[in-house]
Amino acid sequence: MFNYAFRRLLSTIPVLWIAITACFFVLRLAPGGPFDGERPLPEAIKQNLAAHYNLDKSLFEQYIIYLGNLLQGDLGPSFINQDFTVAEQLLVGLPYTLIIGGMAFFLSIVLGITAGILGSVYRNGIPDYLIGTVILIGLVLPNFLVAPILQLFFGLKLEWLPVGGWGGGALSHIVLPVVVLALPHIARISRLTRGAMIEVMHSNFIRTARSKGLGGGSIVWRHALKPTLTPVVSYLGPAASYLLTGSLVVETIFGLPGIGRYFINAALNRDYGMVLGTVVFYMILIVVLNLIVDILYAWLDPRVRSR
Amino acid sequence: MMQSVEEAVLDIRDLNVRFQTNDGIVQAVRGVDVQVAAGECLGVVGESGSGKSQTFLAAMGLLANNATVSGRVEFLGQNLLELSVRELNAIRGRRISMIFQDPLTALTPHLRIGAQMQEVLQTHQRMSDRDARQRCLQWLENVRIPEAAHRLSQYPHELSGGMRQRVMIAMAMLCEPQLLIADEPTTALDVTIQAEILDLMDQLRRDHGTAVILITHDMGVVARMCDRVQVMRHGEYVEQGSCEQVFYSAQHEYTKMLLDAVPRIQVSVDEAQEPMPVDEAQGPMPVDETQESMPVDETQEPSEPDASRQGDTSSLPQSDATALSDRATGSSFDAQSGSASDTILRVRDLRVTFPVHTGWFARKRDLRAVDGIGFDLAAGETLGIVGESGSGKSTLARAILQLIQPTSGQVNWRGQELTDLGRQDLQKFRQDAQIVFQDPLASLDPSMTVGDSMAEPLKVFEPGLDRQARTRRVAGMMERVGLPYTLINRYPHELSGGQNQRVGIARAMMSRPRLLICDEAVSALDVSIQAQILELLKDLQQEFGLSLIFISHDLSVVWEISSRILVMYLGSVVELASRDDLFARPQHPYTRQLVSAVPVPDPVLERARHRIKLQGELASPMEAGARLRFLPSRRAQLPIDYVPILSERFPNHFVAEHDPLESLTRSQNKPAHKCSQ
Repeated sequence: MFNYAFRRLLSTIPVLWIAITACFFVLRLAPGGPFDGERPLPEAIKQNLAAHYNLDKSLFEQYIIYLGNLLQGDLGPSFINQDFTVAEQLLVGLPYTLIIGGMAFFLSIVLGITAGILGSVYRNGIPDYLIGTVILIGLVLPNFLVAPILQLFFGLKLEWLPVGGWGGGALSHIVLPVVVLALPHIARISRLTRGAMIEVMHSNFIRTARSKGLGGGSIVWRHALKPTLTPVVSYLGPAASYLLTGSLVVETIFGLPGIGRYFINAALNRDYGMVLGTVVFYMILIVVLNLIVDILYAWLDPRVRSR
Repeated sequence: MMQSVEEAVLDIRDLNVRFQTNDGIVQAVRGVDVQVAAGECLGVVGESGSGKSQTFLAAMGLLANNATVSGRVEFLGQNLLELSVRELNAIRGRRISMIFQDPLTALTPHLRIGAQMQEVLQTHQRMSDRDARQRCLQWLENVRIPEAAHRLSQYPHELSGGMRQRVMIAMAMLCEPQLLIADEPTTALDVTIQAEILDLMDQLRRDHGTAVILITHDMGVVARMCDRVQVMRHGEYVEQGSCEQVFYSAQHEYTKMLLDAVPRIQVSVDEAQEPMPVDEAQGPMPVDETQESMPVDETQEPSEPDASRQGDTSSLPQSDATALSDRATGSSFDAQSGSASDTILRVRDLRVTFPVHTGWFARKRDLRAVDGIGFDLAAGETLGIVGESGSGKSTLARAILQLIQPTSGQVNWRGQELTDLGRQDLQKFRQDAQIVFQDPLASLDPSMTVGDSMAEPLKVFEPGLDRQARTRRVAGMMERVGLPYTLINRYPHELSGGQNQRVGIARAMMSRPRLLICDEAVSALDVSIQAQILELLKDLQQEFGLSLIFISHDLSVVWEISSRILVMYLGSVVELASRDDLFARPQHPYTRQLVSAVPVPDPVLERARHRIKLQGELASPMEAGARLRFLPSRRAQLPIDYVPILSERFPNHFVAEHDPLESLTRSQNKPAHKCSQ
């Protein structure tokens, strides 16, 4: 088990390296730079700036320097907000993004799996149809549409919840963004769970379990749940990255101070350091989440461990 | 009408099962009656689709939701069909247990054996963990599973097929049920394992007075096990009676057909006349007259020549061992086949090894799937290849056809070395040599019509043909293999298993090959269909002068079709002889065990005969010293991966070195292949 995890961990290193390299060079292919403003800067200042940020060196040298700093955990300076390093800025926004994203992630898993199991147990019954309808809405409506609708309804009409802002992290401020972010994932996870559960319940070992005289609950929880979760777990990795990218939009709509906002601004301003830093951070997050998914796999299915 | 109903454990009356499907209502079982008394074994026989499994799944309330069941199922006075799920659960697993066909998929993959067994006791008898564990251990030992305590913490995939089925049986017996329903319990297992599982079930029935219902398609298994037989077809009984009645005076045409279709190994006395052993110095072999007739008895072992011949070879230096083996096979084959032009396929010292990871940081080890095999195949000849699962039969077939790259050795096709051929020449060879696989449905492209699948080889090998000419050829071949022309635009899933296998054979025959390899080609088919396909293969062979290599785990099928038979064990040959020689005078202990493990579809014969039981199960090719399983006396001197040498004991009858059979059957408590190193 430990060996398995360790091997997975090692195999993520080349993935990270390739992704960072690609990002670094692709970003430089785009025209313009961090100091190309409306009004051109005097040549001397420009040169000083370039020297300060190593922009006067060859691209390859810059790349080596960046990698070297990265290995020491240094994401480098921001090219625009010169008072802060990239890491400092990320740290400011990070808690908000992680709280919203993490809660949405958790909510999707719990609600999605529960809804899926209910749907499969009451297959073609009323609960199945009700859940199916809600899920369909969650799937087809994009979050930039759902968000304003919910804001209008719960915020302005019913006046139950605030329409935006962090509000010191009060639950009432968090509910709407989390629900908007989680909705499509609740939908997908519950569909996956329902389908997998129906298939598993038709398998031979469930027939054996029934022939042993086990009750319905024991069959679902002990025998059927783990194999059902296999496809669900494999979706969690992509789900996490969708959540992160989704948070860019949701943070903007609800006016939350997460890192999504920094990312968009940085990309528009050619803030190489900031964009790369955010990308590297996202990548590490996604790679780590995928690693957790792989380990979960091994936990779910003993056959994976010995492979 | 039958046995006294009072003592019946299970009494099913007028059972009907209907399925609501997209194609309308399908009646799977029509008015079936079943009675079983305590301690009795009832055989329920029928081919696929006869409703034999559905009957008992319905009785146990295990059918899917789209099934409607009517009738009465009385179990000790209670009508099971009227019980609530809760009441039924108190009976299932406690008083009636079931065993299913495929022990891999029938056990929950992510739960340890111990957990799966203990939950039965904890559900039905509210046992404590400790008591339940104790009881499970005891039952694992009752079904003769070695290292029982260790097995409890293993997962199903870590056990062999035979072990898994034993676990299933132990689990079914935990609460000592009054009735055990076994649905094709040995169909997925090798013959030697099958023999052990059947013995085990028989013994449990005797010891515990459990009534057994054995659902099977195998008349040999019925002959061995059952007191009474009920024959089912299309959801109805066509015949029922005592085992002897059904076997010796079958009334219904279908029963007779079923019995006729079973291949029976018969050895005629004059064919079995004793030839002189090859080594004249030893004089004639001391062989009993009785050995000429099946079944083989373990008391008739000509042990002296074994020992003396082993003396011969063991005195040779070790490094010469493989060279000698080559010489032995090579030279004598040349002598045997007479004119060299006769031989179309010559295989020499063929090896296929696969690297296998045994641990994350452990070094790769080689799995020697095919380990130095050599044989010749004459034009128009049929060579049967027999071996149990994991013996490397299919790998050998694929290596011969160059579908996988042999690691070393030669495959010579009509004078050409196949390993040297370029792409073009290899394609020419592919036209000449075709293969038919086991699963007819899975080996056809599901998105291509039957006609397209059959026309495809023509597009490759005869690109000059136009569409019409191709269709004509396809139509001709369909007629030849007995497929109605109307099926030409159907898809594989719309055809029956037998029809699909005919398509598979027709597709292989389209390029007019000289060699056809059948890899378990009839193993997935019902006996009656199996007989038809074997007949078809023989006809095609006659008509086209085909050479056949017929691979199967089923000795009786191989007997039916082959002229020579090669017996494989862990990737190498243990015995090679003409069919009649092999069955009249099986020499190697492994062959003898195999031959004696095949159930004979004749109740009196089957119950009277002794079976040869060697120690241990079929070993894995990765296991150290597994190849020395039949040479324990020389384990100390030989290297651990030594492959026993073939030598010609009788003219054209090759046998690998081995210890005498007696020494391999005697010491029962220690598995021979485990105590190496």
